[in-house]
Amino acid sequence: AVPCGVRGLPSRGCGRRMGRGALGQPLFVFRSVAKMSAPTMEERKACWGARDEFWQCLDRHADDASKCEKLRLSFESRCPQQWVKYFDKRRDFLKYKRKLETEGYHPPEAAGKS
Amino acid sequence: CALLCPAPSACGGAERTRRAGGPGLGGDFQLLDQEGRRRCKADFRGQWVLLYFGFTHCPDICPEELEKLSRAVRLLEREPGLPPVQPLFITVDPERDDVAAVGRYVRDFHPRLLGLTGSPEEVQAASSAYRVYASAGPKDEEGDYIVDHTIFIYLLGPDGLFLDYYGRNKTDAQIAHSVRRHMESYEPVLE
Repeated sequence: AVPCGVRGLPSRGCGRRMGRGALGQPLFVFRSVAKMSAPTMEERKACWGARDEFWQCLDRHADDASKCEKLRLSFESRCPQQWVKYFDKRRDFLKYKRKLETEGYHPPEAAGKS
Repeated sequence: CALLCPAPSACGGAERTRRAGGPGLGGDFQLLDQEGRRRCKADFRGQWVLLYFGFTHCPDICPEELEKLSRAVRLLEREPGLPPVQPLFITVDPERDDVAAVGRYVRDFHPRLLGLTGSPEEVQAASSAYRVYASAGPKDEEGDYIVDHTIFIYLLGPDGLFLDYYGRNKTDAQIAHSVRRHMESYEPVLE
C-alpha cells in the first residue's frame, strides 16, 4: 500500500497505517485525502458496530479474548488506533464500575497501618 | 463582527452579570465559521444559543452530545411560538480542526449547526471564557491523539449571557424542557 502524506507519492487511494493488529500484522485503511482527516459519520458507525460486536463476543465468553480474535481484528481494522486504545480503556472502566455496583468497594490494604 | 463591545453600556453590564446569579461566564470570542466567515459573540445577540465544545476526531462523546443537542433543537423547533435556537459547535482542537474539517463534521448533525474554529490563541480564549478544560493527549505514531475536555452543552440567552448548562446525564427532552422554561421566564439583563 502506498502510504499517505509522503511527498511525491499519490495522495488519492493512499493507505494510512492504522497500527498493528492482534497478530502483529500492519493494518491499513485506504483514504482519498492526504491529510489525516477525522472519520466520517459512516466510518464512526462502522467502528462502533465492530466494537459492539467484539464486546458482545467478550460478554458471551467471560472476557476470554482468545475466543473473539476475528472480531478483534475487525474492530482494529475499522477504528483508528487511538480509538481502539480509548475503547479498550472504556471497557475496563465499565467492567470496574459493574464490579463496584455488584460487589461494593473494597479499599486496598494499606502498606503500613497506623 | 466589529467590536468586542458593541455598546459601552453592554460592557458596563458585566457587573450586573455577576449579580444576576452564576459566574460571569462566557466572555467574547472571535472565530471563523465553516464558510470561513468571521464570527464573534455579538453576532449571536438576540438569539438563543446551545453551544458545545468538542473536536472532530472524538471517538464517541462529541457525536453523541451533538446528536443530543440537535434532537433538543428539533424538539424545540416543533413547538409553535418559540424563538429558534442556534446550535453552535466550537472546536477544542484547532491544530487539526480547520474550517474545512469543521464543515465536514457539523453537516452530519443539524442543517443549522454552526461550527467555529480559529487560531490556537483564539480557540483558547473562547474555551477559557466558558471555563472549558481541554488537554490534548500524547500523539501516537500516526500523529493521532485524543483531546480530553469538559463535556457540557451551554445555553446562552439573547443578551449573550450564560443561562444554564447540561451534562452527559441530561436527555434531549430534558434540555428542550429547560430551554423552554428559560424562554418563558426570560428577562433581559443587559440593554
